[in-house]
Amino acid sequence: MKKTLWERIWETKTGYLMVVPTLAFLLVFQYYPAVSGLYRSMFDWNAGLAGNFIGFSNFVELFTDDDVFIRSLKNMALLTIWYLIAFVGLSTGVAVLIHRIRNEGSKYFFRLFMILPVIIPAVVLILLWKFIYDSTIGPLNAILIGVGLQDWTHAWLAEPKIAIYAVMFRNFPWIDGISVLILLAGLQAIPVEIIESGLLDGASGWRRLRYIELPLITGQIKLLIVLTIMWGVQEYSAVWAMTQGGPIDSTQVPGMWMYFNAFRISRMGYASAIGVVMFLITLVATILNMRYIRSQEY
Amino acid sequence: MVTHSDSLAGGPPQNQRRRLYRGDGWRTLAMGILCVLMIAPLVMAVIISLKSPSQFTRVPFLPTWPLRWENYEFAVQIISQFLLNSIIASGATVIGVLLLSSLAAYSFAQIRFPGRTFVFYAVLALMMVPASLTLVPSFVLIRDLRLINTYWSLILPWIAGGQLIGILILRAFFESLPGEMFDACRIDGASDWQIYWHVALPLTRSMLGVVAVLNILGTWNNLIWPTLTLSERKMWPLTPGLYSYMEQYYTSYGRVMAGLLLGSIPLVILFVFTSRLFVEGLTSGAIKT
Repeated sequence: MKKTLWERIWETKTGYLMVVPTLAFLLVFQYYPAVSGLYRSMFDWNAGLAGNFIGFSNFVELFTDDDVFIRSLKNMALLTIWYLIAFVGLSTGVAVLIHRIRNEGSKYFFRLFMILPVIIPAVVLILLWKFIYDSTIGPLNAILIGVGLQDWTHAWLAEPKIAIYAVMFRNFPWIDGISVLILLAGLQAIPVEIIESGLLDGASGWRRLRYIELPLITGQIKLLIVLTIMWGVQEYSAVWAMTQGGPIDSTQVPGMWMYFNAFRISRMGYASAIGVVMFLITLVATILNMRYIRSQEY
Repeated sequence: MVTHSDSLAGGPPQNQRRRLYRGDGWRTLAMGILCVLMIAPLVMAVIISLKSPSQFTRVPFLPTWPLRWENYEFAVQIISQFLLNSIIASGATVIGVLLLSSLAAYSFAQIRFPGRTFVFYAVLALMMVPASLTLVPSFVLIRDLRLINTYWSLILPWIAGGQLIGILILRAFFESLPGEMFDACRIDGASDWQIYWHVALPLTRSMLGVVAVLNILGTWNNLIWPTLTLSERKMWPLTPGLYSYMEQYYTSYGRVMAGLLLGSIPLVILFVFTSRLFVEGLTSGAIKT
């Protein structure tokens, strides 16, 4: 005898009750703001006022009449490319390096050490680098003077042409602990028999990396690429803490520009439009990547 | 272990095996240099944190005596308030996240209620919604709910956002548990609430730990949101608190560095006690992809 839908719903009512709290939180604090952000991006809306519906004017203004926003997009692209090089490229190198160390003791130590950038709060590293870049008392200029390169000293975070690179190259030597650990987990999951049979066929060193190991950790690498792009598009806390987008908007990124419009000059609708553009960029990047992953699996 | 893998691989010739691990020396050296460079800013912070202003002016980057431990005494008075705020906000968030995400994950994994696929995808879809889209409307929402200048302005949105990853991890875990076990409990007359509380939760303790660590890391490092919803700086959690501390005392370099170092300690302590969960959590999902 087939049960009716209502009987099945009544039988599994506990299932619904258990997801109700989650759904309530998501509706109020996730879905409502997301929909509201999409909707309000079409308003000329200041805090406290109802605002006027202006269609796509905010978006038109962003792309035709807002030089700062265009510059922020360029900075975002520059930083994201750099983060890809650092978090994916350099991290792969470091992970392979650690993976090939034979001595179990030192291998364990280096693995443990990679956790360091994770357990030191990000803000502490950002603030330490703000100090390192300080033009009068910072150690970077002190080192340059010490080795006789006075001409190379700069007010690193205060010169418009240089500040974005100072933000970009903070945290030297740029090792991202999480990326290294993820890649290392992938490398260690490769069965040792595969490597050894490869060696018997003469694949060692570079060729072992290129033809055996890298193909077997493409999953991890792709994951890191998606995460890094999403992060690179969104991230502005380093800019916020180091330069607030200055000097003269030279380090502006979309997140920072959104923050400035919303909370400094109260253009909430315009800021929402920036948020929508950032959302669309991450959405396109993710969809492209999901396509790519699926085509690889089959 | 070694003999086992030897026999398993049929014992490749010794020179092959040596080739597999060739070049330990320069690799250790390269990694050693990297580690020194990574730790250099922290060493600098330790050295400066033990200096008085005049000591810093004379010899900025090398140790000087006497060591000025009073910088730490000064910093701890200010940092401890921020730390307490962080513990309140991140602590309440993590409890809420564990409760909500384990309940929902159990339901998604073990109760076949009509529409559950749809509801699950409705939850999953939010992983695509970035914080940038919701920042401005969330702030307006918190303001309209009159939660500005309360810790709820941090806790409630953080629970909502933090439970997503928790649901994903815990649902995968609950699905990996044998379904017969749950059926047996039901035949014995246990309700789903009882199974959830007495069977599923105890089995999933280490996964709950992973979710908790990930969640704490996420909320702990949140810099900007608390500065928007809390106008009083003495309510700020540690991360924005350290920022404002450095702004305020910027020219007392010793005190600033002491504060930054003290502010780093809580996560280090968390790591020491949960290192296995920590690494597992950070690399979770990496194996599956």
